Amino acid sequence: MSQLLLLSVYGLANGAILALAALGFVLIYKASGVVNFAQGELLLIGAYAFYGARCLLHLPLALAALLSVLVAAALGALIERLVLRRLVGEAPIVLVMVTIGLSALFRALVQLGFGTAPREMPKLLPAGSVELAGAALPVDRLLAILASALVLGAFGALFRWSRHGVAMRAMADDQRAALAQGISVSRVFALAWGLAAVSALIGGVLLADITEVSQNLAGFGVLVFPVVILGGLDSVPGTILGGAIIGLASQYAEGLCPGASSIASHLLLVALLVLRPHGLLGEPRIERV
Amino acid sequence: MSATATGIFHDSYASELRLCHTRAEKRRLVLTLALLSALPWALDGYWLGVVNGIGIAAIGAVGLNLLCGFSGQISLGHAGFMAVGAFTSALLSTRLGLPAPLGIGAAVLLSAALGALVGLPALRVEGVYLAIATLASQQIIEFIVCRWSWLTQGRGFLDVPRLGFLGDHVSRLTFERSWYWLILGVATLALLGARNLLRSALGRSLMAVRDHDVAAATIGIDVARAKLTAFALSSGYAGLAGALCAQYSEIVSWERFTLDVSVQYLGMIIVGGLGSLAGSVYGAVFIGLLPPLLSELATLASSGGSSWTAQLPALQLGAFGAAIVLFLLFEPRGLARLWQRALDYFGSWPFRY
Amino acid sequence: MTHHRTLHLPIALSALAALLCACTPQRNEHDIVIGVLADLTGPTADVGRPYHEGMLAAIDDLNAHGGIRRRHIQALSEDYGYKVPTAEEKYKKYVQASVVAVQGWGTGDSEALRRKVAGDELPFMSASYAEVLTDPEQSPYNFVVAATYSDQMRIALDQIAAADPQAQVAVFHHDSPFGNAPIADGKQWIASRGYQLGYQEYAMKAGATDYVASLQRAQQQGARYLIVQNVASPAATLARDIAAQKLGMKIVCLNWCSDELFVQLAGPAAEGTWMVQPFAPPSVPQPGHEPLKQYCAAKGIDFESAGVHFVQGWYTLQVMAGGLAKLLADGRELSGKNLRGALETMGPVDTGGVIGPIRFSAASHRGATAAGVYVVEHGKLVERARALTPRS
Repeated sequence: MSQLLLLSVYGLANGAILALAALGFVLIYKASGVVNFAQGELLLIGAYAFYGARCLLHLPLALAALLSVLVAAALGALIERLVLRRLVGEAPIVLVMVTIGLSALFRALVQLGFGTAPREMPKLLPAGSVELAGAALPVDRLLAILASALVLGAFGALFRWSRHGVAMRAMADDQRAALAQGISVSRVFALAWGLAAVSALIGGVLLADITEVSQNLAGFGVLVFPVVILGGLDSVPGTILGGAIIGLASQYAEGLCPGASSIASHLLLVALLVLRPHGLLGEPRIERV
Repeated sequence: MSATATGIFHDSYASELRLCHTRAEKRRLVLTLALLSALPWALDGYWLGVVNGIGIAAIGAVGLNLLCGFSGQISLGHAGFMAVGAFTSALLSTRLGLPAPLGIGAAVLLSAALGALVGLPALRVEGVYLAIATLASQQIIEFIVCRWSWLTQGRGFLDVPRLGFLGDHVSRLTFERSWYWLILGVATLALLGARNLLRSALGRSLMAVRDHDVAAATIGIDVARAKLTAFALSSGYAGLAGALCAQYSEIVSWERFTLDVSVQYLGMIIVGGLGSLAGSVYGAVFIGLLPPLLSELATLASSGGSSWTAQLPALQLGAFGAAIVLFLLFEPRGLARLWQRALDYFGSWPFRY
Repeated sequence: MTHHRTLHLPIALSALAALLCACTPQRNEHDIVIGVLADLTGPTADVGRPYHEGMLAAIDDLNAHGGIRRRHIQALSEDYGYKVPTAEEKYKKYVQASVVAVQGWGTGDSEALRRKVAGDELPFMSASYAEVLTDPEQSPYNFVVAATYSDQMRIALDQIAAADPQAQVAVFHHDSPFGNAPIADGKQWIASRGYQLGYQEYAMKAGATDYVASLQRAQQQGARYLIVQNVASPAATLARDIAAQKLGMKIVCLNWCSDELFVQLAGPAAEGTWMVQPFAPPSVPQPGHEPLKQYCAAKGIDFESAGVHFVQGWYTLQVMAGGLAKLLADGRELSGKNLRGALETMGPVDTGGVIGPIRFSAASHRGATAAGVYVVEHGKLVERARALTPRS
C-alpha cells in the first residue's frame, strides 16, 4: 500500500508537470490548429530563463519570476507572428516540420548560451519528506502537484470567465463568427502562444526544481503527445485527466518492469489512436467532403 | 515542368517513357554522370566517406518522399524501419551466414511488411494524428531494438563482417572507393525504380490519394490499398538504406536509429522539396554536408583563437533547425523548386518568363 | 541590369571553397599526430570534460619539456557528443590526417571503431574499460590502461562478501553497452568464488527524474548493497532518492561515479559510499600527482577541483607517450603498427602510485588489474584499501 502511494505521488508529480506542458499544447491547437512539436523546448527555455534571471542576474524571486514570464510570453508571441503567421493554411506536414525545426533551433540556442553541463539553482520547493501510511512522500513533489493544480485552475477560470478567455473559446469554435463579432484573430493567436509559453515556463521551472536545470528537460516534450491524445487535442480539462493517467501509468509500469515507463505511454497512445482518436474528453471531428 | 521543357509532343509510348525528353536534360544527365564518376579520384578518404553517407541517406530520403510527398501521408518513424532493415541484414549475415545481397533483400522485404503493419493506423487517422501515431511507432521500435537482448546477445551492438569482395585489410581509400561504386549503383537503381513507379498506375493512384482521398475513392481507387502500399514502399526503401548502413559501417546499434534521425530525414525531404525525387537527393546532400562543412568552418574560425569548435554540436543542431524553418518560410517547395527557377531563368533569358 | 546579381552567389561560393582549400592547419612534418575523440557536450560530458582537459594538459606539458625525443605531439581533438556515427566520421578524418594513434573515450565508440582500427592498424586507447578490449585476439589494436569494469565489479563483490557474506546485491547500471559490460562477469564471479551473495541487475533509464520504482523493487529483493555502474549525475540522483526514502542501502560506485562530482551532486547522501577507483584522486596525494600539481600551479588551475578524471586523462596519455618514446628510441619508423609493437614490448610505465605500473604484452592488452577502494567521509574521498586485485 505504501509502495503504491509512493509511486502514485511520484507519478502524479510527473503527470502534473506534463499537464502544464500539455495545456500549452492544447491552447495552441485550439486557437490556431497548429500542433506544436516544440513544447518540450518551451519548457527548457522557461526553466533556463528563470535560472538566468535568478542566478545570473541575481534578481529577487518575484522580479525573476516576472521577467521570465515576460520573456516566455514575448517568445510565444514572436513565434506566432514571425513564423506561423506566414504559414497559415499550409499542409499539416509543413506546420509539423516548422515546429520541429524551431525545437532544434531552440535547443541549440540554449546549448550555445548555457552549455550542456547541468546548472545549480537554489531550490524553490522545500526538501524533506512527509510520513503517510508508511511511505516517505517527498514534500517537493507534493507541492509541485499543488502548484500545478493551482495554475491549471487559474487557467481554467481565465477561460471560463475572463473576456480574453471567452474570445479564445469563440475563436476555437468558429473563426469567422468570432471575427464577425469583432474579436481580433491576430491578438487571440498571439495570446494563445504567449499563454502556452507561460504555462510551459511554470512546468519547466517546477521540473527543474525537482530534478535539475539541464538539457534533459526538453525530453519531456515527447511525453506530451500521449497526454494530449488521451485527453483530447482540444480539451483543457482533458490535459489534467490525461496528465494524471499517463503520469501514474508510466510510474506503475516502471515499477513492474524497469525502463518500461516510456513504452507504456506510447503503447497506450497507439491503442487510443486506433480505438478513440479524439481522446477521452475531446470532440470527435467530422470530416465534411 | 520548367519553361525549358515546353513544346515536347510524344508520338509513341517509347518516347514518352524515355528518361530525358529534351537535349538540355540529356546534357545535364551526362554531365552529372561524368561528375559522379570523377568524384572518387577528386576526393580523399574522409570526404568520400561523407559522400557515401549521403548516398545511403538519399535512398532513405527517396522512400520518405514517396510516402510524404507523393502519397500525402506523414511519418516520424522512418529511422525505426531503417533499424529493422539494419538488424535483419546484420543478423542474417552473422547468425545464418547468408551472403550479403540475400540478407539485404530479406531486410527490404521485412521492413516493407512491417511498414504496411504500421501503416494500418493511417486508414483510421490522418494529418497530425498520423504524425503522432508514427512517432509512437518509432519509440516502440527503438525500445524493442534497444532492449531485446537476443538481437545483440547482450552486448548492445552487432558486428557485421566485411562484405566478401572487399577483403580484410584494404586501405581506407580503397574501402571507401569500392563502397562508393556500390552505393552509387544501388541509389541509381532505387531512384529509377521510384521514378518508374510514379509513372505507373500505382504511382498515379498514390498521388490521387494525396490530392483528395475521397475523390480518389469515388473514381474507383482502393484508398486503403494505396495508403498501405505507400507505407510498405517507404519502409522498404528505409530498410534498404538501413541494411546498406549496417554493411558499410560494419556495426549495428540502436543509437543510429533514434527519433533525431527520423527528424533528419524529414528535414531532408522538406529542404529538398516534397513531391520531387531529385529534391530528395538535393535534400540529402544539403543536410548531409551541413555538419562536415560547419566542422571545417569552425576549425577555420578557431585558428584565430576563438572556441567555435567547442560549440560545434550546438551549431550543427541550430543550423539544421534554422535551415528547416528558413526553407519553409521562404521556399516551402525546397531546393528542387529553387533549381527549377534557376533553370527557368536561364532558359528564358533575356525574357522574364 | 539584374544578371550581375545572380553571379554574386556563385562567386561567393567559389571564394569560400578556395578559402577552405587554402587554409589547412599548418603542421610541422616533424610532429607526432594523434587523434583524440572527446565527449564535451553529450551525456557523459560531466566526466568527459575533465578527462579531456587532463589529456590535453599532459600533451602540453610534454611539449613544454621538449616533446618526445624533440618531436612535439600534435593532438587533433574533436567533440563527438557520445554519438557513435559522429565518432566514426571524426575517425575517418583522423585517418585522412595520417595519425599514428587514436585516443577514444567511451564504450560506444571504442566498440564501434574496434574492427576499423584493426583494419587501419592504429593503436586505440580509451577510457572504456570493457573486458573485450583487453583481448588481442578480439581487439588487436585496443589497449586498456586501467582495471576493467569486470575487474572493478569483482573487487567490489569481494569487498561486499568480506563485509556481509549473505548480502543481497542490486546492480544499477547505465542502459547501454557501457552499463552492461560487467553484469554477466559479476554473476559468474559470485558462482566461481562460491559467494552466497544475491545478485540482480536494474537498468537506469537515461534522463529519468527519479529511480524510485527500481529502488522499490530492489527493496523487495532485500538489497543491502547497490553497485552502481554509471556516471556521476544519475548515480547522485540515485543516492538522493535512497536518502530521501531512508532505505539504508550502501552504495558501491565503480570508477565512473567514484569522483568528486558525485560527492558534490549527492551532497550529504554521499556519505559512507564505497568507491572503486583505479586512479588515485587528488584528495589522496601520491608522488605521481606532483607533475600535475606543478602544471596546474603554472597554469592557474585548481588541482583539487580538477578531480580524479583529470589525473586519469593525464596518465592515459603518459602511457601512450611511453610507447611513442620506445618506438623513437628503437629508431623505427613512426607508424601505427610499429607503435603497437612498442606498446607491447615497453617496460612498465611508472605512474608514481597513481595507478599501479602499467604493462602490456603481446598476449594481453590489459595494463593494470588493481584498483583502490575509497570511502566518502565528510565530503572527501578517503582511502580504505590500496591496490586491490580480484581475489584469486
